[in-house]
Amino acid sequence: MKVQTAFALAAAVLVVLALAPLFIPDYWTGVLLGMTGYVTLATAWALFSGPTRYVSLATVAFFGVGAYTVAVLNEAMPYPMVLLCAAGIGMALALVVGLSTLRLAGVYFVIFTFGLAELVRQVVSWWEVNVTYTMGRYVFLPFEGRHIYWQLLALAAVTLLISWAIGRSRLGLALKAVGDDETVAAHAGVDVTRIKLLLFVISATIITLVGAIQAPRWTYIEPSIVFNPTVSFMTLIMALLGGAMRLWGPLVGAVPLFLLFEWLSVSFPDHFSIILGLLFILIVFVMPNGVLAKLEDLRKGGRA
Amino acid sequence: MSAQLEISNLNKRFGGLVAVNDVSFTLRPGEVVGLLGPNGSGKTTVMNMISGALPSDGGQVRVGGVDITRMKPHRVAKHGVARTFQLVRPLPTLSVAENVLLSLAFGRKRHWGREARDLAEEKLAFVGLAGRGEEQVGNLTYIDQKRLEMARALASEPELLLLDEWLAGLNPSELRIGIDLVQHLQGQGMTVLLVEHIMEAVRALCSRCIVMSAGEVIAEGESGEVLQRPAVIKAYLGDDHA
Ligand SMILES: Nc1ncnc2c1ncn2[C@@H]1O[C@H](COP(=O)(O)OP(=O)(O)OP(=O)(O)O)[C@@H](O)[C@H]1O
Ligand SMILES: [Mg+2]
Repeated sequence: MKVQTAFALAAAVLVVLALAPLFIPDYWTGVLLGMTGYVTLATAWALFSGPTRYVSLATVAFFGVGAYTVAVLNEAMPYPMVLLCAAGIGMALALVVGLSTLRLAGVYFVIFTFGLAELVRQVVSWWEVNVTYTMGRYVFLPFEGRHIYWQLLALAAVTLLISWAIGRSRLGLALKAVGDDETVAAHAGVDVTRIKLLLFVISATIITLVGAIQAPRWTYIEPSIVFNPTVSFMTLIMALLGGAMRLWGPLVGAVPLFLLFEWLSVSFPDHFSIILGLLFILIVFVMPNGVLAKLEDLRKGGRA
Repeated sequence: MSAQLEISNLNKRFGGLVAVNDVSFTLRPGEVVGLLGPNGSGKTTVMNMISGALPSDGGQVRVGGVDITRMKPHRVAKHGVARTFQLVRPLPTLSVAENVLLSLAFGRKRHWGREARDLAEEKLAFVGLAGRGEEQVGNLTYIDQKRLEMARALASEPELLLLDEWLAGLNPSELRIGIDLVQHLQGQGMTVLLVEHIMEAVRALCSRCIVMSAGEVIAEGESGEVLQRPAVIKAYLGDDHA
């Protein structure tokens, strides 16, 4: 498909999705909202973790920081400023975390990022209890579901655009090389540390914004709500299911899994975590490179 | 003209093991020099310290008069030093052409787009992989992987090329092709440090060689003469008998 055709098609889909809330019941707008949030999270996650294969469980650390920033600042300044502040804080946190952890290899990185989310939650709780004497905050912003949805849809489109642009740039090639063999990449002239840090920061900033934009949905926010580790796991599973190395992979994984999770959490609320875990294992074993890669393999196999 | 590569008093220890002990030598521009020695004598370790893969424990590496001792590998690459790895290391998620594009995009110049693709094809043709750019590296034969390793090194447009047993494991006809290729580079004025066990290749390519044993330089000079020296023969035979 030519690039122009693909763009025209994507733009058309975007318009349809943007108009949808005007025609569908509020409940379904809510579903679309949640789905768009996860599509963005999974795509942003894969931006860094896909090519580099650094499996990050820090998603909810940044997501939560975004949401909590809005909870703290929403009455102090105009909304666009609040979003900017959230993005800035997420970026700064990502820089610090990136500089201190991107030298860690493999499983140490996974464990550290998981610990980070918990650490951030504890620090925020401690601060609220001991310094500000508030536990839980209210978000008073005049947004309905569809307003939040539109913001997320715009962010999703921008995220996919960034992912597409990186994929065809020098940066994208360098990232894939880093994922394959850091030593070889460095000897080819790639500043490995800088490139990993850059992508980690871009990815984390987008994730922070997803949290910030979604904050008004809760009206009441406390650390245990916005720093829920399930968010990190769901993001990871969605990106892996679709294939974290491809532009559309995370989206392809996020849409069906979000619907499945919605249904599961309503129908089997007590067994949700177990099913999530089993699904994770299944995906890793059956199609470690994701559905899209699996389909390609099957098609090639069929032809051969 | 000053030396292309100047190594002085280089040292490296791994725990209690002295892998490289006070090694010094010089390469003039356009020279192809052999770095020889039995297994474990420290040749690859010297190369790793030149390319920035390993920090040295003392001594200095100068390339084109610039001190690169403490440079990180990507800075060294941009300074005009490229290398191949003793065990080939193709990047498996990249296509053959992309392996070469990487060095073109991040080497001494920033080639990208149409121009870079043409240059990649040119480098691939030079090593004998013309028209193979779209292939997966996993499907390449051993010699073709070696060719790709060379193409990727050349694509960063180096002035100094470090070849770590690049000719090892080739059959006689492939070896001939490999030697021709290095001679071709020599004709273009490339300075090459050639780590090699195959004497036929050393005799054909290197006017001069440096012999290491147990981390130290034990001989240095004109190839034909050096390879006759008793100390050199003893170092190799001793190794063979071990
Ligand atoms: N990263 C490392 N850690 C510990 N020891 C090492 C390391 N790299 C090399 N050595 C040791 O240093 C010594 C020199 O190794 P080196 O690889 O430089 O030898 P070489 O001359 O290249 O040998 P070969 O001809 O087998 O490639 C060997 O004893 C080796 O075991
Ligand atoms: Mg070696």
